[in-house]
Amino acid sequence: MNILQIAFSNLKRRKMKMLFLMMGLVVGVATVVAFLNIIQAMNIELGDRIDEFGANVVILPKAEGVEMHYSDTVVSDLTFDVQKLTMEDIPKIYSSSVQEYINIVSPKLVGAVHVGKQKVLMVGVETKKEFTQKPWFVLKQQAGLTTGEKVGELALLDVPEDGLVLGSSAAEALKVGVGDELIVNNETFHVFGILNELGSEEDGLVYANLNVVQNLLNRPQELSMIEVSAYCNSCPIEEIAMGLEEALQNTQVIPMRQVALYREETIGQFSAFGLVLSGMVLLVAALVVLTTMISSVNERTREIGIFRAIGFRRTHIMQIIFLEAGMVSILGGVVGYFMGSFAAIYAGPYLAQIQGNIPFQKELFLPAVGISTGLAILVSAYPALKAARLDPAEAIRFI
Amino acid sequence: MSEIMISLKDIRKTYKSMGDEVEALKSVTLDIKKGESVSVMGHSGSGKSTLLSIIGALNPPTSGIIEIDGIDIYKLSQEKRADFRREYLGFVFQQFQLIPYLTAHENVMLPLTTTKRSNKEKREMAEEVLCRVGLGNKIKRLPNQLSGGEQERVAIARAIVNEPPLILADEPTGSLDTKTGDEIMELFQKLNEEGLTVLMVTHNPDNTSYMGRTILMKDGQLSLDEEDFVSVYSNKKV
Repeated sequence: MNILQIAFSNLKRRKMKMLFLMMGLVVGVATVVAFLNIIQAMNIELGDRIDEFGANVVILPKAEGVEMHYSDTVVSDLTFDVQKLTMEDIPKIYSSSVQEYINIVSPKLVGAVHVGKQKVLMVGVETKKEFTQKPWFVLKQQAGLTTGEKVGELALLDVPEDGLVLGSSAAEALKVGVGDELIVNNETFHVFGILNELGSEEDGLVYANLNVVQNLLNRPQELSMIEVSAYCNSCPIEEIAMGLEEALQNTQVIPMRQVALYREETIGQFSAFGLVLSGMVLLVAALVVLTTMISSVNERTREIGIFRAIGFRRTHIMQIIFLEAGMVSILGGVVGYFMGSFAAIYAGPYLAQIQGNIPFQKELFLPAVGISTGLAILVSAYPALKAARLDPAEAIRFI
Repeated sequence: MSEIMISLKDIRKTYKSMGDEVEALKSVTLDIKKGESVSVMGHSGSGKSTLLSIIGALNPPTSGIIEIDGIDIYKLSQEKRADFRREYLGFVFQQFQLIPYLTAHENVMLPLTTTKRSNKEKREMAEEVLCRVGLGNKIKRLPNQLSGGEQERVAIARAIVNEPPLILADEPTGSLDTKTGDEIMELFQKLNEEGLTVLMVTHNPDNTSYMGRTILMKDGQLSLDEEDFVSVYSNKKV
């Protein structure tokens, strides 16, 4: 017989009350664990999605600019000493100090071309890289498909050398459909695909293979810009931009700060909401523990009086109360951890619109049990002190 | 070594009730020798339970000195006094006061819980004491599975398991029938013969025949008045 056995025996006797206390803790811990799981999964998935799809760094040729004032007239955007961006700059990106963060490098050349009497803007791209980086580019129509066959995923298709991918407005303006022939700067091309409407300037562009456009515009090896998507889960985007600028001296590297900000904001807002809600649920759990333990102490005045009369010290009484709270809270923490984890795994994807799986986070187990136990012990301090301070003579009067 | 087990010198106890001071004990002076068995009788409100709680190191007197086996118990700190109760005193409360969720064996082991004895030793000591009070075959039973007399025996076993020199009993036969009450009193008598000092508060005049000495209390004082004795024995208010 020891203090632990006394505490355990009392828990067994007051099953419903202790179950109620435990459920308070379970709900609190489960909420925190579920939110932490979801936030972590969102962080990873949102980060990866933003990093993978869409550039977060744009590399442009370096140029000096000036704004000139002539009386009332302002001439802006006067550029001079424009450097050239070429294909030779691409390997420098992969050998830069930030190479480990580089995901997709998509070079492009933009130039005006003539299609009949019309002038259109043509963009030469490495099609697979460009369309992987921009998954919102989806084909509406594709050449060579049989009836009932669905259009392919653009990022996986090989656009032929003489193939063109037209934005929806460009296709309308040129009055062409898939498979039609187009003469561009006196060279013959075929419409490989037409894109869905995007509602942006990109609808008016014509896409073709980079080397083809370079030859067509007679600008071999030349590039207008390079879009880079980088993994910045583990480092700030400014750091990546600085690393690229060091490697490419003739360029200006522009970090797309708003992408990172958007990402941080979205995750931050959800995290803040989750933490506030978790805090409130934990507060309610703490109140449940407090009221249950106080009522337990009040009900046991007589028993505590007997313990004190037969020689239990105040510290022994406190030990009994803390051990009871500790045992219930450890169990509550374990159950809460598993409930929270399963809730996150099964309900998380619907709650947070996460497409991937939410992983089981083993590293949350000890903190979950720790929060539960710490909270219960902290909140039980008052009832434990109250019990220990019970005047044995007063308690015995109840007898 | 002192021959006196309990020494009370001019013990007074006042309580505050609704702003008024109520004198529960008025200058009680009393010596009880080691090995004595003493019953304290008196009407309700005479101060006998207050006296017992003061002697039991549970309720400090307002003034006066109380020594048990030569130790001024109210000079001890709260925690030392708890240790003192464990080592020196065995309480037998009214209505048995067993812990309902512990078996007879566990109830008897309670005073040993906070000692440094091994679990095996505690189990053996409790079992032996339960055998002594005639409950060797019912040690695994919960209090509600025992009769009143059996519960009282468990309460007595719990009081003596730590081998204290002094037993304090408050109305130990109050809720028992006459036959069972007599058996319990015989048990107290036996314990006294084995050398324990027994101080018992009782309403039942029949119990006094098992005790060596009877003290009468009236209005917070010891009374030697013959009329008071007659009144208490005949259970009439004076």
